[in-house]
Amino acid sequence: MIELFMTVFSATFFVTVVRTSTPLLLSTLGGLVADLSGALNVALEGMMLVGCLTAVIVSVFAPWYIAVLAAIAAGALLGAVMAFFHLRLKADIILVGFAINIFAAGGTVFALTLATGGDKGTSINLPSKAIPALDLSFLGVIPGIGHTLVQFLSGHSILSWVAAFLVFAIWYFLYRTPWGLWLRGVGEYPAAPEAAGIPVNAIRAWSLLVSGGLAALGGAQLAMFNYVGFTRDMTAGRGFIALGAVLLGARHPVGALLAALLFGFFEALAVVLPGLFNWIPAELIRMIPFIVTVLALVLFSYRALRARQLRTLSKI
Amino acid sequence: MAPLLQAIDIGKTYPGGVVANNGVNLTINAGEVHAVVGENGAGKSTLMKILFGIERPDRGTLLLDGKPVNFTNPREAIDAGIGMVFQHFSLVPSFSVYENVVLGSEPRTGVRFDRQQAIEAVRALSEKFRLSVDPLPPVGQLPVGQQQRVEILKALYRDARILILDEPTAVLAPQEVEELFVAVRALVEQGRTVIFIAHKLPEVLEISDRITVMRAGKSVGEVAAREVTEKSLAAMMVGREVALRVDRAANQGALACEIKALKVTGENGATLVDDLNLRVHAGEIVGLVGVEGNGQSELLEAVAGLRPIAEGVAYLNGKSLAPLTILERRAAGLASIPEDRLARGLATGASVAENLVATRLDDRRYVRNGLLDLKAIKANTEKLIERFSIRVGGPGAAVGTLSGGNMQKVVVARELSEQPKLLLVNQPTRGVDLGATQFIWRSLTEARDAGAAVLLSSADLSELLALADRLVVLYRGKIVAAFVNSDDLTPETLGTYMLGIATQTPAEMQGALR
Repeated sequence: MIELFMTVFSATFFVTVVRTSTPLLLSTLGGLVADLSGALNVALEGMMLVGCLTAVIVSVFAPWYIAVLAAIAAGALLGAVMAFFHLRLKADIILVGFAINIFAAGGTVFALTLATGGDKGTSINLPSKAIPALDLSFLGVIPGIGHTLVQFLSGHSILSWVAAFLVFAIWYFLYRTPWGLWLRGVGEYPAAPEAAGIPVNAIRAWSLLVSGGLAALGGAQLAMFNYVGFTRDMTAGRGFIALGAVLLGARHPVGALLAALLFGFFEALAVVLPGLFNWIPAELIRMIPFIVTVLALVLFSYRALRARQLRTLSKI
Repeated sequence: MAPLLQAIDIGKTYPGGVVANNGVNLTINAGEVHAVVGENGAGKSTLMKILFGIERPDRGTLLLDGKPVNFTNPREAIDAGIGMVFQHFSLVPSFSVYENVVLGSEPRTGVRFDRQQAIEAVRALSEKFRLSVDPLPPVGQLPVGQQQRVEILKALYRDARILILDEPTAVLAPQEVEELFVAVRALVEQGRTVIFIAHKLPEVLEISDRITVMRAGKSVGEVAAREVTEKSLAAMMVGREVALRVDRAANQGALACEIKALKVTGENGATLVDDLNLRVHAGEIVGLVGVEGNGQSELLEAVAGLRPIAEGVAYLNGKSLAPLTILERRAAGLASIPEDRLARGLATGASVAENLVATRLDDRRYVRNGLLDLKAIKANTEKLIERFSIRVGGPGAAVGTLSGGNMQKVVVARELSEQPKLLLVNQPTRGVDLGATQFIWRSLTEARDAGAAVLLSSADLSELLALADRLVVLYRGKIVAAFVNSDDLTPETLGTYMLGIATQTPAEMQGALR
């Protein structure tokens, strides 16, 4: 037990949590933008997966940042496909989303086979690149806290810093700019912005594009930092966890950050636990993040229900 | 001087072949309140949608300031200075008042939404036009009358010279109507023009300068409000003399329904009906008065079995209703005309025949050995179509293809095809034309005279005053006043209690709560 505490409160563990949280956070932010515009993006999983593969394959031929941009473009393209089917052809968004998930699961394996010349499982024989970690060891010269700062802040993926900045940027956009007001209005009661002459469908389409781009960016982090290379179904439900994290985070960017950190924490725990408790089957430990997701969502709905009851009671 | 806005010979046929407008002329002068009246289905709404750019006319011309205009969407109409307040508000509930007002045309500094400037603008507008409303709270928490002001402010913020109000008084209590009229007059004083769509004639005569009457898709006349009476206006609308009067109950029978200490709570635990005691006798109509959302619907739903009773009891002829299922309640003689005919009263995709028999699927006349007796069902339908003069192609027509009035007649026909002992009625003539209203009122009084105890709720006070023998006023789920109906009872008196401004003492209510 003491070993567990030692591990959890170490700087290394913190760095692991940030690493596992980053793909989730990016995907959650993507889910948030779509959800607030009133389009539930159940295709986050598939968009992440396509982001993973695109990033890996492009990085074989191009620098890492081009690979990341290509992943974003691929995700945004899927978002555009979703917008086209849902908004123009009026297909049900859940069905379109699942079609994209199924397409992504099969399509990535197919593309992987073509790219590797026959391998259906991993991209192990492709020389793909990684996203560099940001080295902040120069902070070490600060007397006293320098060493600790380096331990905690150095060595994160560049995308982790980008994700943290995006939390702020998306918050600013949603709550401080007119377009954020439009987006939230479109999501809550589309008739109102429509009557005010705001193009409702265009806003939803853009939200889906951004949503896809963010989810795929999360995928790029997953396949170019957390792991280097592509494995079939490597997202392993992270897109669905992100969907839950949107709700758990009370549909707010800061809430999304906290929810992603929570799930990231348990994922990191699932990484370190097998080394400490080798008598627990590793399969059980790997279930932890998913069980936590379900429990957290149940708890959250229950609390929201209680809060609603209390509010109405206080009004009477 | 050329009129401000002119519509000449407007024609509009919807894709389904429904002729909504067929030769409509409308002339609006600057600075007047111009009412457009007509029965439901006369084409008022279509005309307004054309003026506001939601629909495009098939023929005819629109002239604004004497120049032809052609709006392809509301944005163009807004830019030309036309604002519209719909009956169903288009407000985002969680947004504050000022956010709703400026939505779509926000003041900005850089990319930032300048909230302070928006709040100031809303304050200035509401002062200028005497539409007092606090800019800060979320609109979802405001009463309907205030939400309507927010809608008007929205149009004014976009510099509307012409403001179209679509049935603005339908959702308001009498006092709120007065406040709205004060605001309308303030608007006109400041040089704005108001187009007022309505069907309540006393209000139209009070507020408007000139009136255009529409009937069956045509404009049939334009009159000055000073020169007409309610009666002559009604005759113009319907095309014949109408008498919207009904006879009071001749005699009252024994106690039929007794409600004791009834409490109904919502899903979130809020109390909707609180400690309510009421007795209804055979052969009388008891009217439930109240601003919508003060427990009338919930009371009726609880008695009908559509909602659980939290505390208390409701008896029908001495038998408690609580343990009975809806079907058992119906077998005991309960009938119910629900508030929303589309959601709860009818299956719109099903045929008239199927709807008429839907509550009688345990009746041996229509169902034998688990199979429908189609012949008997058809015969029953034809009989009811005849008796209730429902205008429909045949028993097999889908209910959804009928007009609002005829749909409501199908509901009434089903509920009254067998004489009920207790009849629950909620908004019997909402969205129904005058002819059908007359018919439905007569059906209700016939059921009453045949011995039904009737509990009636309606948002239309004149309907309650016309039909009810006794009236109880509900405010926040409690009875705050009770009256025996008489010609002296006015909407204003009821309004004071509806808004909770006054409450009768138990002794005062005693006389009317037999």
